[in-house]
Amino acid sequence: MPSDIETFENIFLDLSRTPGRFRFAPSGMGWRPTSGEIWKMANTELSTAQWSRAARGYELKLFTRTMGIVQLDGFELDDLDRVKECLKAYYKVNLEHREHALKGWNWGKAEFSKSELYFNVANKPAFEIPFAEVSNSNLAGKNEVAVEFATADVAAGGAGGTDEAGNKKKKKAAAQLDQLVEMRFYVPGTVKKGEEDA
Amino acid sequence: VGDGKGKKAIKRFESYKRENQLPLSVADLKIVVDAKSQTIIVPVFGRPVPFHIATLKNASKTDEGDWTYLRINFLSPGQGVGRKDDLPFEDPNAHFVRSLTYRSTDNDRMAEICAAIQDMKKNAVKREQERKEMED
Repeated sequence: MPSDIETFENIFLDLSRTPGRFRFAPSGMGWRPTSGEIWKMANTELSTAQWSRAARGYELKLFTRTMGIVQLDGFELDDLDRVKECLKAYYKVNLEHREHALKGWNWGKAEFSKSELYFNVANKPAFEIPFAEVSNSNLAGKNEVAVEFATADVAAGGAGGTDEAGNKKKKKAAAQLDQLVEMRFYVPGTVKKGEEDA
Repeated sequence: VGDGKGKKAIKRFESYKRENQLPLSVADLKIVVDAKSQTIIVPVFGRPVPFHIATLKNASKTDEGDWTYLRINFLSPGQGVGRKDDLPFEDPNAHFVRSLTYRSTDNDRMAEICAAIQDMKKNAVKREQERKEMED
């Protein structure tokens, strides 16, 4: 059994640029950056949790009741057992291990869940897009859907922006050095034959 | 004579088989060009997402103010590039990632990435042509 508080160092909250200390306690969780605002979440918020390989080490993704998707990355593979144990002991939540596609294919199936879009390649997700990050989407052409992401707000600051603890929610894309601005999908026609020329 | 669709043998390529094959530099959450695996790895909300060079159509960059925009176009149906044998269009319901646009104020690096992608593509096309000539 874990003790009353379990601590993990060098964890990033919602793709923040600087790491902080992440803690599990029976009453909830908290993240404290080296400088900046402390983030907290009550135990009643947690709905489900996933573990997977991220760019920065491993990621614990929390699906919450009212706070959207919370992403914590920077975990090491060895942390898995401890994280799993905490979630189970404190919140009675099972940690789902999610493996991602690494095939390098650009075709698959875009699927929608409650809070994110995920692109499945050979039945494994290749990536996910939280709906909260989408600023706009439109039909850019026949069978083409363009999805735009919120980035405008940090334009003036440039890449060396001052945000220490990561931007507020909904700006995960904007917090990055290489910012994803737009993604376009080809979606095969759902138009019935005969209607196509209308 | 079968169903008339004539299942063509599709060239299967695969960027990585295991997570630990990803280059360590993906941790910087920047675009990585991994020539060894003939793959571009882009960060998508913290996930390292590989795209094999064979899926790539082209890459281009534009400068706007402080920003350099990098657009990566992938092969997908309905583009008029008649290389149908290169992608598994046998699944008519498949969705495709058609393009990605990134921007960065790290202009020099974006220019380098763009050039590296173009080089990798050029070499891949060349190798493919050589392979086809050998077969003839």
